[in-house]
Amino acid sequence: MTTRERYPLLNSFLEGWSIFKQNLLGKIGLTLLIIFALMALCSYIPPWISPMYNPMTGVDPEITSCSAPCLRHWLGTDFMGRDILSQLLAGARIAFMVGISAAVMSIVLGVSIGMTAGYMGKFIDTLLMRLADMIMVMPTLLVVLLLAAVFGQLNIWTIVLIIALFRWPGVSRIIRGQTLSLKQRPFIEAAKVAGASHFRIIFMHIMPNVLPLAFLFMTFRVTSAIITEAALAFLGFGDPGTVSWGMMLQWVWKTGNMFQAPYWLLPPGICISLITLSFYMLGRAMDEVLDPRLRKEDQTD
Amino acid sequence: MTLLEVENVSIGYNTKKGYVKAVEGVSFSLEEGGSLGFVGESGCGKTTIGMALMGLLPPNGSVSEGRILFDGEDTLKMSDEEIRKIRWREMAMIFQAAMNALNPVQRVGNQIAEAILVHDPSIGKEEAMGQVEALFDLVGIPRDRLRDYPHQYSGGMKQRAIIAMALACHPKLIIADEPTTALDVIVQDQILGEIKDLQKEFNLSIIFISHDISIVADMCKDIGVMYAGQLVEFGPREEVFESPAHPYTKALLSSFPTVTGKKSDLIPIPGETPNLVIPPAGCRFCDRCSGPGPSCKTETPEWVETGPGHKTLCCRC
Amino acid sequence: MDKRDESVLEIRDVTKIYKTKGAFFGSSGKDVTALNLISFDIFKGEIFGLVGESGSGKTTVGRLIVGLENVSSGKIFLEGREIIGLRGRARKEFRREVQMIFQDPYQSLNPQRSIYDTVSEPLKIHGMGNASTRKDLARETLHAVGLSPPDDFLFRYPHRLSGGQRQRVAIARAMILNPEFVIADEPTSMLDASISAQIFNILLEMRSRLGVTQMFITHSLAAARYLCDRVAVIYRGNLVELGPAEEVIRNPKHPYTQALLDAVPKFGHDRDARRYGSLLTKARDAEEDVGCVFFPRCAAADEDRCGRKHPNLSPFGDGHLVACFRLEAMHEA
Repeated sequence: MTTRERYPLLNSFLEGWSIFKQNLLGKIGLTLLIIFALMALCSYIPPWISPMYNPMTGVDPEITSCSAPCLRHWLGTDFMGRDILSQLLAGARIAFMVGISAAVMSIVLGVSIGMTAGYMGKFIDTLLMRLADMIMVMPTLLVVLLLAAVFGQLNIWTIVLIIALFRWPGVSRIIRGQTLSLKQRPFIEAAKVAGASHFRIIFMHIMPNVLPLAFLFMTFRVTSAIITEAALAFLGFGDPGTVSWGMMLQWVWKTGNMFQAPYWLLPPGICISLITLSFYMLGRAMDEVLDPRLRKEDQTD
Repeated sequence: MTLLEVENVSIGYNTKKGYVKAVEGVSFSLEEGGSLGFVGESGCGKTTIGMALMGLLPPNGSVSEGRILFDGEDTLKMSDEEIRKIRWREMAMIFQAAMNALNPVQRVGNQIAEAILVHDPSIGKEEAMGQVEALFDLVGIPRDRLRDYPHQYSGGMKQRAIIAMALACHPKLIIADEPTTALDVIVQDQILGEIKDLQKEFNLSIIFISHDISIVADMCKDIGVMYAGQLVEFGPREEVFESPAHPYTKALLSSFPTVTGKKSDLIPIPGETPNLVIPPAGCRFCDRCSGPGPSCKTETPEWVETGPGHKTLCCRC
Repeated sequence: MDKRDESVLEIRDVTKIYKTKGAFFGSSGKDVTALNLISFDIFKGEIFGLVGESGSGKTTVGRLIVGLENVSSGKIFLEGREIIGLRGRARKEFRREVQMIFQDPYQSLNPQRSIYDTVSEPLKIHGMGNASTRKDLARETLHAVGLSPPDDFLFRYPHRLSGGQRQRVAIARAMILNPEFVIADEPTSMLDASISAQIFNILLEMRSRLGVTQMFITHSLAAARYLCDRVAVIYRGNLVELGPAEEVIRNPKHPYTQALLDAVPKFGHDRDARRYGSLLTKARDAEEDVGCVFFPRCAAADEDRCGRKHPNLSPFGDGHLVACFRLEAMHEA
């Protein structure tokens, strides 16, 4: 038995990687994400170099207002004299954190609920789906605004939780649909005839077939979470203690520097667009890896 | 009078796995009012030939060599416009799984009328519907079903509707690609009988494509056996069915169970069909053949006459 | 048939009714009787054929036996034990003894799992063996169904296999637990003739080498003739004829069986000189669910009896049973 056979997980990973490598979109997406990840990691460097570079509290003794890029501040400074590049790097960190946490939470919720509803059917299905409907029609932003109005400024993790709680219905509907159609498939019936328990069928047969879709969705969730957080921050309802790209946009807008300081306005905006694009591309490539049938080189006519 | 003459046609598809030579060097001819059947298993190229005759190959498919002469004119040299004129008016096709070819949200009568109007816009909607009624009578669908939707039809009725659509513009040639595969045997029998009657009544030429050699032997005067993209045997049905020459034909015949005659062992054909991206040199059936000769693997087989109008592509014969 | 072999499967008066929901909450729609009082036995070591067209209910019979659906009424016995309503351990034991091969090889294997996973799953479910014995058994079973060398196939995924190969995997999966009874539901209807022949021969070998009793569900009388010892013909939920395969096909007694045989395409098919001619060209208008199920299409039916009462399967000698009033009359005469 070769090493690959001995460790099936390793084998799957290597196989997946070789397929992923062939997908152009995936490679571009991954590259961009790596750049952003590096940015996130590097966000610890500027404050370490000098307290002046702290994204929230750093103050340049010589500059106290918005200024253009120079040698000391590669992207210039904001209205308080804080370094924009540091803010951008910190924003990357926040984006990853928010995006991925919210996405993972909503996917876990959505997949579990969707599979349960689809597989159990009848009463449970109706109950769960009506719940999903109710949540789906509620506008996320408005609810967050209401909560902010009631509880004051919200903590970033609360925002992440809320985004997750509002986003699972979309996932669960799709997963439920998939589960319903999978339930009828002969290979599920074959598993039943072999004596598989419900548990086994859901987790060993339905879930693997549903996961590719879930992963694809996760990438959309990440993008939507990042955008939602950015929107909230931009509207002034973000966590004032964290520097995110949306927050940066809020500052540039609120202080009236939108047209005067392109070095301040453009970077966060471009970053938001690029990171969402790269997650999307990654998702498309992952789709191919996870679903054996989509693999191009293996397709039989 | 020869209606269709196919000369040394080769067809290929560009796929991600490479260029698939789906059909290679096929030649045959069809007289007016004649019937010709192509029999073979999946991947042998019989459907591809039907599509090529109609000019309906998918975008990644193309005829790489040969001529298709319909009524004396080479269809491969025609422009899209000219082919569109021939299609349906002179040559119509009944597709495989044709039942799914009906638009589920349009009434059946209207769909057929539309097909008529597309090819002859000069007649009005009313006259078109009149023609549809006549067609329904012809294929045996009650006239009161004209305004029904496809899901209200049974499988047999849908198939009859498809036949009606194929006959709508009174073509000279009908290509029927597995028209009864999805039907039960009793309905299939009725439909095949109706196709035969229609053929006699209108002196239609038919090309019948099927995987079931008994259907083809029942319906057609001549049979062509296809394997891995090549025509391996051709001849009148009595000859091919009762004295098959090619080893594949013999093997194919003995892999179908029968209800009449002696019950004999089914002899499956070992192995799988060859890869058509890189077809084997020499005879393509060689590695599954029960009795290959010494030169079969390397020599390209030639046509050998084994009877009146009966020929086979085999080194050994 | 003189010696009465022991029955592996006994089906008694099994009926299956599908209730369709009405338009409004709570109201009931039409009831569709998919199977009506079906009774037959399957003897040990035989291959029993169930032949019918689409909508005849033949697949439903199979599904009821393996428990994918529930009977509306009636009993099913496996080796004398009632299998309806089994729970818990008894049910799991039942799952070891009865297995099924499905019709569509392209859908009956989980596309996300390797061949090894699929074939060894029954072993895992029933807690048999450990990782290495399971692999060995999987190899052995794959080899037995003709997928050799087995190591070439163990870690592949279904989409890399042809239809015939996939169906062999499905057979391997069904056989790995050494069941008593296997139901093959149209296992070759999606395969080419030459590949079908390979599958038929595997089924025959399963019987000759391992003594597995089988029920072969098919729409093809020819396939049933080749494979089966006895054959039952089912029409719209009712058994109309049952008997030794060769006998039923050479001397069909029920008009429907005769119609099926007439319709099989044959070379030199002379439609006018039909051997039996038992089918009406245009169906009669008849009241639904009253009288013989074949009455509307039967050329030889008589209104009084056939249109009013429902004939039961009656013996006509030598294990040949037919459900037809006309024959009863002839037999009595």
